[in-house]
Amino acid sequence: MSRPRRSHVRAGLFWGLCGVALVLIIAPAVDIILSILAHALPVLKPSLITETTSGTQLGLQNAITGTLALSLGVLIVAGTVGVLAGLYLSEFAPPRIAANARFFSEVLAGVPSIVVGYVGYTALVVGLHWHYSLLAGILALSALILPYIVKTTELAFSSVPRTLREGAIALGLSRGRTIRKVLLPPALPGVVSGLVLALAISTGETAPLLFTANFSDKNPSGLFNPVGYLTGVTYTDIQLPDPKTQAVAYAAAGVTVLLVLLLIFAGRGITLRSRRLIARMDV
Amino acid sequence: MISAPAGKVDAGRARHRLSQTELSRGDRVLRAVSAVAAMIPPGLLVFIALVMVVAAMPSIVFNGWSFFTGSVFNFGNLYATTTITHNGVAAPPQAAYGALPLIFGTFATSLIALLLAVPISVGGALMLSEVIPRRIADPLSVFLELLAGIPSVVFGLWGVAVFGPFIAAHVYPALSSLGHIIPFLKGPVGVGQGLLTASLVLAVMIIPIIASTTLVLLRRVPILAKEGALALGMSRYETAKVVTIPYIRTGIVAASLLGWARALGETIAVLLIIGDIYRIPGNIFGNGSTIAAWIASTLDGALGDFTGMGVHALAELGLLLLAISLLTNLAGRIVVRRVAGGVLPVGRGV
Amino acid sequence: MRTGLMGGIALFGTLVVAACGGSTTTPTTSGGQPAAAPTGNPTTAVSLTESGSTLLLPYLQELVSPLTAAYSNITLAPSGGGSGKGISDAIAGNSVLGGTDAYLSPGQFAANPTLANIPIAVSAQGIWANLPGITTLKLNGDVIAKIYQGTITKWNDPALAALNSGVTLPSTTIAPLVRQGSSGDTFIFTSFLSATNSAWASGPGSGTSVTWPKVAAEGSASSNPGMVAACKAGCIAYVGVSASAAATTAGLVEAQLQNKAGTFLTPTPATMAAAVTAGAATIPPTLAVSLIYQDGAQSYPIVNFEYMVVNTKQSSSDIALAARTFFDWTIDPNGGSQTTLLSKENFIGLAASLPASVLATIKAKISSIST
Repeated sequence: MSRPRRSHVRAGLFWGLCGVALVLIIAPAVDIILSILAHALPVLKPSLITETTSGTQLGLQNAITGTLALSLGVLIVAGTVGVLAGLYLSEFAPPRIAANARFFSEVLAGVPSIVVGYVGYTALVVGLHWHYSLLAGILALSALILPYIVKTTELAFSSVPRTLREGAIALGLSRGRTIRKVLLPPALPGVVSGLVLALAISTGETAPLLFTANFSDKNPSGLFNPVGYLTGVTYTDIQLPDPKTQAVAYAAAGVTVLLVLLLIFAGRGITLRSRRLIARMDV
Repeated sequence: MISAPAGKVDAGRARHRLSQTELSRGDRVLRAVSAVAAMIPPGLLVFIALVMVVAAMPSIVFNGWSFFTGSVFNFGNLYATTTITHNGVAAPPQAAYGALPLIFGTFATSLIALLLAVPISVGGALMLSEVIPRRIADPLSVFLELLAGIPSVVFGLWGVAVFGPFIAAHVYPALSSLGHIIPFLKGPVGVGQGLLTASLVLAVMIIPIIASTTLVLLRRVPILAKEGALALGMSRYETAKVVTIPYIRTGIVAASLLGWARALGETIAVLLIIGDIYRIPGNIFGNGSTIAAWIASTLDGALGDFTGMGVHALAELGLLLLAISLLTNLAGRIVVRRVAGGVLPVGRGV
Repeated sequence: MRTGLMGGIALFGTLVVAACGGSTTTPTTSGGQPAAAPTGNPTTAVSLTESGSTLLLPYLQELVSPLTAAYSNITLAPSGGGSGKGISDAIAGNSVLGGTDAYLSPGQFAANPTLANIPIAVSAQGIWANLPGITTLKLNGDVIAKIYQGTITKWNDPALAALNSGVTLPSTTIAPLVRQGSSGDTFIFTSFLSATNSAWASGPGSGTSVTWPKVAAEGSASSNPGMVAACKAGCIAYVGVSASAAATTAGLVEAQLQNKAGTFLTPTPATMAAAVTAGAATIPPTLAVSLIYQDGAQSYPIVNFEYMVVNTKQSSSDIALAARTFFDWTIDPNGGSQTTLLSKENFIGLAASLPASVLATIKAKISSIST
């Protein structure tokens, strides 16, 4: 009877360690959020939303609208390209090409954010004479998170069971139909969670934007004007001596986390609706 | 028939064979458009590499091989009225550009971060998918994506102000007692900055990528395979060990590669925590720097170099990091191929 | 007769032109010198974009509202990014103005002949230490350089005791703090060390970022408030005066530094002004000058001009007008250099401490900003 006892001990040890791992994942997240809130409390007023960062004001309006504009732009640019690319790698690409494209995509993920920013500066801000602009910022951020979207989209589509694909072929569906009606619903949660993850990473970036969008005290005023963003406020204000300004830095961080939370819940909403769709599907 | 991703190329070939049927015009348009999209990441990479090569060329000529072996980094006397010339390229007097301490810091922090992040991510994801009921696991997994969205500058501040001092006071002293066996672990433990703290925070930053991808993979493991194992009398632990984890092994490696890439390229958080001092630290708790952090923190000073050589030198550093990313991903590919080859034929034929 | 008529018409024409006035004429003053180019509210809204020094940033943020109140079409839009970025942005035309704590180098002037650096305020730097129980600390540049070189490692070193008779310094290890990356504060601090210690001048030298000698207990921080926060027991740090309040609140002690004349001083408006007056004697036409370690009994040794770099050739006359107006208003003691605005950052203004000839040079530089 020693075998069951040993395996009980091993099992208990294993799941105990896994539990510790989970705690190690959640505890820092909780701690960081509490620290942000603690520091941001002194400036949590409605004026955060109604005022801008101009001059000595302690508002975040331009930073919030700027971050939203950047995120929307990134969703459109990187989201479209990334999902299509992931789709291609999973559904259409010959295996050799797929392997190589995947490889280069992963190498792209290893480019430091400051290098992406500097290349954006050289090519777009200076090279194309865009000067500091929202569009340059969008393109720099998109370059940064594209690999994540490609990888997660490909993973989502390739994880769809072969049975569903074979069923679609047996029914004589075209590739496009297959993708839209058969593969997309089960893959959607994975695609959306990948998009959410990538967008979350992009809202937390500073370095690439410093040299492409610079900063602005005004709300977004066009693709070729500089724009403000929350991480820029955090990065700059934390270096300034006034304690009120430092509190704004943390407030900006707090609003960033709130935006990410909204993103996550929106993503889950889409996932839930797609699950209901699958349940109602009669393919 | 349930397909196991045993051998990415194998499954890919199978899917590709299936796809050779039914290509209507609409399909061809979709394929063409998505093919163009798929060529953009490699295209971007080539573009970035080209820009970096052009920007780095004067520095490459100036430094030669001493770039990789040098342990001095000095923009030189920027207020001098003369310049020195080396190999036909001009730079301010006393300028020297070496990357060795930065290469060390980059590898050390990223490796430690990855070695810690992978087991923790996989363990936590297993917990969420196998043990904790879905009702509680779903809200908990929100934390994973939330962690990904925390600004890197906040990670840096938290690391220096909260996490670093805490861990330096409570954990490091115990760790440094192992200094008898491993000299690199000997004290002094410092006040919270340094290589190890930066690596730990880096691990926290890459956990979301690896863990949420693993969670998605785990939820895709066919229930039949797991039930089969349970029917054979295996415990949940044995099921995980023999069925679940091997099934997603290639996926974990792929996610880890992405996490490794993030660790290599992370700039601001590391910059704030590692102390950003140009040296190889005397022990694991000491201050140092990484390539990405150094580029970010000295770019401002490089812009003050009227010869432009400062910026060229930083471009060469960026190019070096690009090369490191390329080489390590290549190595990772080989690992994936080997791992994929040894997977149990679980699920095939079931 | 005809000459008289011609003369009359010429005189009449001149009077008409002079009477019409407008911003395009430049009347001469009685002294025969060309008067300043006009300043005033531009006809269209101008956003004066600025980037650069984070030391200057809070002061510039204070100026935004009063400047727009005085000139409704001028909005100052300051951002940070560091002195190097400010200079490079001004050169590239990404910003109209570049804030910097370090003046332009000869090489930068040579590469960009239309660039000017114009001082707008005076700042200083304090040396602070975390020594609980110690209320007075006397240091000089030479021992500080030795601390940062690692040759003096403990607070009770004989060299330090010699300067601080009557005070017992503890035996703790000195932990010198440096600024990460490039920073104008590092430039100012290392200029001071180079001026007072020959080994430092020929070794690490001065610059916005230097190769710091290896000191085991050395730490680093990323901003002035960061330096204050990172200064734990036994540390020594260089902190710009704008963060003095934070340093005092943190319980750090400000060192009295020995100046060239031998007096031990802390940075106050009076000691800063004395350094400016002494340094004004050697100011070149480019206005790029170091105020470090000046003569004068009351001159604090670590003082510097805060500069605004600007391209004297602007793309539009409205922007040029706005830029000239900004400078003119900022250095005016009734405008941007009001004591209430300056004192928030512990800066002092130019008018109080510079002789008329230097002020005239500055005004001429401002006038040279045109299209």
